[in-house]
Amino acid sequence: MREHRLKIGVSGIRGVVGEFLTPTLACAFAQAFGTYVGAGTVALGRDSRASGAMIQHAVSCGLLAAGCEVVDVGILPTPTIQIYAQDSGARGGIAVTASHNPAEYNALKLFNHQGLFFNHYERSELIDLYHQSDFHHAANDQIRTVRQEREAPLRTHFRRILPHVDAGRIRGRNYRVALDAVNGAGSLPSCQFLSAHLGCDLHAMSVDPSQPFPREAEPRPEVLTGLSDLVRANRCAVGFAQDPDGDRLAIADETGRVLDNDDVLALVVEAVLSRLPGDVVVNLTTSAAIDEIAARHRRRVWRTPVGEANVVQRMQAVGAVIGGEGSGGGIIFPAVHYCRDSYTGMAFVLDRMAATGQKLSELAAALPRYSRRMGKLVFEHGRLGPIMQTLEREFSGAEVDHSDGLKLTWPDRWVHVRASNTEPVLRLASEARDESVASALFQKVMMLAG
Amino acid sequence: MTGAKSLRISHVGLRGVPGRGLTAAHVLDFASAFGTFLEAQRAPAPPPNQEGTRDSGSGQATPFCASEMEDDGPVILGRDPRRSGVMLREGVIASLLACGRDCVDLGIVSTPVIQHAIRRHGAAGGISIGASHNGAEWNALKFFGKNATYLSTAEAGELLDIYHLKRFSFAGYTKLGKLSEQKDSIDLYLKELSAAYEFDKLRRFRVVVDCCNGTSAPLLRRLNQDFGFQFILINERLEGERFAHEPSTNARTVGLQLAPLVTPLQADAGFLFDVDSDRVALATDQGEAVSEEMILPLLADHHLPKSAGKLVITNLSTTALLEDVAAGHAGKVVRVPVGRQAAMDALATYRPEQIAMAGEGTGAVMLAGFRFIYDGIASMLSILSMMAERGQSLSSILAAYPRYSMLKGVVPVVSPRIPSLLMEMQQDHQDGIANTADGLRVDWPGRWFHIRVSQTEPVVRVICEQRGEPPYEMFERLMDRVRRLA
Repeated sequence: MREHRLKIGVSGIRGVVGEFLTPTLACAFAQAFGTYVGAGTVALGRDSRASGAMIQHAVSCGLLAAGCEVVDVGILPTPTIQIYAQDSGARGGIAVTASHNPAEYNALKLFNHQGLFFNHYERSELIDLYHQSDFHHAANDQIRTVRQEREAPLRTHFRRILPHVDAGRIRGRNYRVALDAVNGAGSLPSCQFLSAHLGCDLHAMSVDPSQPFPREAEPRPEVLTGLSDLVRANRCAVGFAQDPDGDRLAIADETGRVLDNDDVLALVVEAVLSRLPGDVVVNLTTSAAIDEIAARHRRRVWRTPVGEANVVQRMQAVGAVIGGEGSGGGIIFPAVHYCRDSYTGMAFVLDRMAATGQKLSELAAALPRYSRRMGKLVFEHGRLGPIMQTLEREFSGAEVDHSDGLKLTWPDRWVHVRASNTEPVLRLASEARDESVASALFQKVMMLAG
Repeated sequence: MTGAKSLRISHVGLRGVPGRGLTAAHVLDFASAFGTFLEAQRAPAPPPNQEGTRDSGSGQATPFCASEMEDDGPVILGRDPRRSGVMLREGVIASLLACGRDCVDLGIVSTPVIQHAIRRHGAAGGISIGASHNGAEWNALKFFGKNATYLSTAEAGELLDIYHLKRFSFAGYTKLGKLSEQKDSIDLYLKELSAAYEFDKLRRFRVVVDCCNGTSAPLLRRLNQDFGFQFILINERLEGERFAHEPSTNARTVGLQLAPLVTPLQADAGFLFDVDSDRVALATDQGEAVSEEMILPLLADHHLPKSAGKLVITNLSTTALLEDVAAGHAGKVVRVPVGRQAAMDALATYRPEQIAMAGEGTGAVMLAGFRFIYDGIASMLSILSMMAERGQSLSSILAAYPRYSMLKGVVPVVSPRIPSLLMEMQQDHQDGIANTADGLRVDWPGRWFHIRVSQTEPVVRVICEQRGEPPYEMFERLMDRVRRLA
C-alpha cells in the first residue's frame, strides 16, 4: 500500500512537511486559489504547528502572485478565520492547518467569501486550475501587499457567540474550568474566552502555542488523561479539550470522565433546542441519541453523508438551528457561522449548566443512552461493493440508506459502512441501546466484511 | 526571436518581469536551490583525529577548511521598494525556512546594507530582492555568499545546476528555519561608514541627490538628521510602481532633473543613485552632467596614493583614462571581461591587500577601504573626501584630466554569425594590439575600440574611445562593417 504522505485532491492539499508537502506545492495551490477567488483580499491564518510559518509564507507568496491582498491574522482557531473571512468582506480565506492530524503533517483549509468550505463543484474547478497551472500572474503594479490584523478576528468571533447564551449568568457562577488546548491555535483565545468573557476560574494546561503538541492532536477520550487529572486535582466543574486548530471540542465532567464525542454533540443539541426552535442536521454515523432529543423537542433530524460540507449544505437548505458530526467532535451553530466551532460548544455547555444548575455528569446522565462500536478495514478497490451487498442480503428488513456507503437502521440499532474521504480505509460503525447488541452487531458485520 | 525578454536565469541570478515571465514558482525554486546550495557548503564536522584524516587523504584539514565549517548562520534578506518585492520576499522566506535556514529580514534597504549585515551576523549568505537599475516592472534575486560578496562563477554554476535539477534538501518539520526581523541594520551600516570616512570634513558640502525613489533616500535622510550632512534630496519618496525616471546611472539621467538643479541651489555637487544604491552618477558644481565613466578614474586618483594595494580591476569597456590616472600613482589596471562575474573571479585571483578597488564604467565601484562591496554611497563619500582634501571644486578636479571621448552603438545580430564576425573584425585590424578575452578589443596609442556581444540580448555592442575629440570616423566605419557582417 502506498503511504499517504501527500494528498492533493478535492479536499485540498495535505501532507508530511519536508519531502512531501513542499513550499512549492503550497505556493502553487495558493496561487490557484487566488486565481479562482479573484484579486481581492484573502484572510490567511494558521494553527501552531512548527511548519505553519513556512507554509504560510509560501501561501502568502502564491496569493500575492495572483494579485490578492493578504490579511495575515496569525495563529488563530480555524472557526475564527472562517468567521473573519466572512465578516471582513474578503474574497476567501485559507487556514494553514492539518487539524487533528499529527504534528509532521500540514494542510490548507480553503474557504469561500462566506467563510465556508468550498463545495464539491468549487473544489473541482480549483483542482482543475491547479493542474492546468492556469494561474493569474499579477504584474508589479497589480501586486498588493500583506497586512497584519491581530485584534478584529477574535473580537468578531466572540461577539457573535455571546448574545446566544446568558453570559451574565455564566459569569455569576464563576465556574472552575480545566482546559487542554494541546498548545494549539486555541491556546490563548480559549484562555481569553473562558476567563475574560465567561468569568471562569481557569486551570489550563498546554496553552503555549510556541511548544509542540504534548499529546495526540485528535482529542479522543483515550488521550485526555491529562485533562481528567487536571479536573480532579482542581475539583473543576468541567474540562474542555481542543484539537490544534480549535474546531473540535472534547469535554470532561466534574469527575474527570471524558464524554463520548456523540454525547458532546447531543449535549449541545439539547442546549440549543432548549433555547431555539428548529431542525437538526447530523451525518449518518452520528448517534440516534440526537433523534431522541429532537423528538423530545418535537423537532426533525436530517441525515447527510459524512463530511462537514455535506452537513453544512443540508443545514442551509432546511434552515437548521444546530448541526454537527458526532464522531468528529464538530458542532455547527449557524447563528454564529456555518463552521465547526469549539467555542460555541463551550459557551452552550456552560450556559446549560448555569440554566439548569446541574452538574455536567447529571446533564450527561440525562442523555439518551446508546452504545457504539467503531472500526476500520484496509481499503481495497472493489471491496466496499461486495460488503454492502452481503450486508443488505444478511440483514433484510432494515431501513436502507445508500447515500454514503450503506447504512442499515432498525428501531433500536443501526450499522454503517463507508469509504473514508481522507484515508485509504473503510469505516464501520454500529450502535444500539444495549451494549451487547451493539457489540454483537459490530462483530457480525466485521466477520461478514472480513 | 520573440519580443522583449522578460525572464533571465543565469550566473547572475534570477531576473524578470512579474506577470510576464517571472513567477512565484521561479522564486521558490531559486531560493530553494540557494538553501540547498548552502546546505551542501556546510562542511562535515571536524574529524576527531586530524592527522589520521590527512593521511587518508579524504579531508583537507587545513585551517581554511576549519573556518569554512561555520556555515550554520542565517540568510540575510532585504528588498528595494518595488511592489512585487513583497511577493518575492514571501517566496524566498518560505523556501529558506523549508531548507532549515533561519532568515533575518532587513526590510527595504540598499544592497550594500544587506552585504554589511551578512558579515556582521556571520551569516551563511544573503539575498537582495530588487532589480536595481532596471525599470519598476522588473524584479530580481541577487545572491551573496558568506563573505558578503557575489557568488563566484563556480558557485553560481552550482546554484544553477541545483535549480535546474530541482532536487532540493528540504528539512523535516522539526528542523525548519525561523524568521526574524532586524530594524537597525541602517544604523549599524552608517556607523561603519562614519568609521571609514571623516564625516567632520564632508558635512560642509551642499550636495543635491537624486534618489530615484530608491533605497538611498532613507540612508541620506539619516546622514542629515544624525550626522549633520546637508544633502538636498529629490525623488526621495520610496516608490513601488513608478520611478521619477529610468533608474540607471549615466550622464543622460543625471541631465534630466539633477544637473539643472545644482547651480540654482548653489550646491557643490550632484549625485544620482540607482534604486538599490550600489551605483552612482554625478553632476559638477557647474551643473554639468558628467559621464559615468569618470567615477572610477576619480576614485582611483583619490585612493591609489593612500592604498597599499595598487591594482584597479575593471572591464575591457571602461575608459582608458584609468590607465593614465593609475600610471601617476604607480597603480596597475587589470582588465577583465564585462560583467559582474568576471570582476568577482578577478577579485578572487589576487590577495585583498594587492587590490585598491574594482569597478565598472557604469558607476558601480567597490573599494578596499570599505570591504569590496559595490556601494554608491561610499563612492560619493570618497569623491567628497577628495574635494575636501584638495580644496578644489569638482569641476576643477575634473578639468585637470586629459579629455577622452567615447562613442557607443548597438547592432542586432543573428547569434550563429557572431564568431565569424569577430574573426573578420580582428583580421581587419592587425595593426593594433588585440585582446579577445571578451569579444574583440583593439588598442592603438590614444584610441581603442571594443566589440562585444551582450550577455542579455543578441546584440553586438560597439564602443570606441579616443583621447581628445570623439572618434566619429572610426565609430562610423566600425558600425558599417559590423552591420554588413551581422
